[in-house]
Amino acid sequence: MFKKILIANRGEIALRIIRACRELGIKTVAVFSEVDAHSLFVRHADESVCIGPADSALSYLNIPNVLSAAEITGADAIHPGYGFLAENAHFAEVCESIGITFIGPTSEHIALLGDKSKARETMLRHGIPVMPGSEGELRNLDHAVQVAGELGYPVMVKASAGGGGRGLRVVSREAELGRAILSAQVEARTGFAHDGVYLEKYFPEPRHVEIQVLADEHGHVVHLGERDCSIQRRYQKLVEESPSPVVDDSLRREMGNVALKVVKAVQYRNAGTVEFLLDQNRKFYFMEINARIQVEHPVTEMVTGIDLIKEQIRVAAGMPLRFRQKDIQLHGHSIECRINAECPETFVPSPGVVSRFHVPGGAGIRVDTALEAMDQVHPHYDSMIAKVIAHGQDRADALSRAQRALDEFAVEGIKTTIPLQRLILRDPDFQKGGVSTNFLDRLLAGRML
Amino acid sequence: MNSEQRKEIQELVEILTEQNLNEIEVQRGDVRIRIRRESTATVSVPAPSSTESGQVPETLTDSGEKDSSRFLTVTSPVVGTFYRSSSPDVESYVEEGDLVSRGQVLCIVEAMKLMNEIESEVDGRVVKVMVENEAGVEYGQPLFVIDPLP
Repeated sequence: MFKKILIANRGEIALRIIRACRELGIKTVAVFSEVDAHSLFVRHADESVCIGPADSALSYLNIPNVLSAAEITGADAIHPGYGFLAENAHFAEVCESIGITFIGPTSEHIALLGDKSKARETMLRHGIPVMPGSEGELRNLDHAVQVAGELGYPVMVKASAGGGGRGLRVVSREAELGRAILSAQVEARTGFAHDGVYLEKYFPEPRHVEIQVLADEHGHVVHLGERDCSIQRRYQKLVEESPSPVVDDSLRREMGNVALKVVKAVQYRNAGTVEFLLDQNRKFYFMEINARIQVEHPVTEMVTGIDLIKEQIRVAAGMPLRFRQKDIQLHGHSIECRINAECPETFVPSPGVVSRFHVPGGAGIRVDTALEAMDQVHPHYDSMIAKVIAHGQDRADALSRAQRALDEFAVEGIKTTIPLQRLILRDPDFQKGGVSTNFLDRLLAGRML
Repeated sequence: MNSEQRKEIQELVEILTEQNLNEIEVQRGDVRIRIRRESTATVSVPAPSSTESGQVPETLTDSGEKDSSRFLTVTSPVVGTFYRSSSPDVESYVEEGDLVSRGQVLCIVEAMKLMNEIESEVDGRVVKVMVENEAGVEYGQPLFVIDPLP
């Protein structure tokens, strides 16, 4: 087992990892930027090293400084958390080359899975259902018409280099196809300097359902059930739950088995998430593998009782998984609300000094945060300041606990998305369960906060 | 080390100067800061020899008249290991009391097998070497205090 782990991250996930290390009896090193010097995660670490100024490009993303910090403190492993260096194949590779264990998949896995078209090809070869679409980029309009005809309208034109909804067009008739391709290309050329586009089947009411997996070095793989992350705004998840209201035992088994097949196809290691799109007819399609621990991992921990960070550390240290698929059982229901320092109406970030910070508690409530009263929320970093995670006997129980916790949560001095989260949890469609990724846009279009 | 801690050290240096102390040690939690003068050049001590007094600028003992805010702190631009000389068997680049010129190498901070030479940004005198040889240093950590020449 490792003696000392350096945590190459900040905020709640850094504290989450430090907590796991303390429980495992492993020493910790926090690295921090100058503005984070007095943060809770720095104080809870056994040692800490300042690695640069506020700008994360010069601190949390500064590979030489992070590795030098590991060197001067004698850390034998690095946990990257999520974001920052978590899916940087080069960083993982340098760690490997200097004999520091990168707690996560190998650099080859990160490189392969980061290339979406390569990952898709690999999955196709292994018979995994992928999003129906064109093989590679469209060659010309005739090619596009032919592929769209095979997929069936509506289809989606997507820019290869696109992201965040840019370079994306939904086409419902063949007559509109040519114009949509041209305008997507123009947008892609100006935004991403590459105008290659491809076609995908368009799903009007998709659900985002993902399967958590764990794989060790000894060939053992298990899945820990699903998370439903359909409550999104511009591809940013806001609410996640496990189990999904639309997944029953047989669908869970089916999706779980496909996820395990995905993991085996690439010989994946450590914790990962296989993301699927689930349509209205209970058909599901592989989207991508997230080669890291995810923000929403706590809902899986709450229903399985398995500490994912500790398992990541054990697996990275070469230990075999201590459980098999038959040992994994889901108990009750868990829901997570991400609290961001943003205006709940305009979503404009709201940095500043937090004058009051009262965190909810009580039965079935877990709050992951590294913020405290009088802390400053910095404009340099992600706006997520806390995760409220509720667990209950069933979905209704978990929902009422989450609502109660949001009512208790008092944050003053900055704006937060707590009012929006309360609106979501009160919504009758959400309470019924099984809404699609369009839910939030509809709610925002007709809401009164 | 951050700007606040740097400021704190600066203040301690000022107290040291104003009160004519030889040493100050402050501990808060896990952090211990000790500031010590190499020289015996204080009023309570017999007049020092000229070489000894040279180790601390005269102004340091002129309590009240001049503050130490004009002192420049040379901080580490990278995380790494601090070396006072280019190799273990040669002399240190600088000693306390030495006059240094702009661009002169003061030390090396080794990071990932790369030797980063840290240079003085001004002409001045080395008031204090803040770090032990071969110690690990973090970003922004004070390495030297320099009294710039007028």
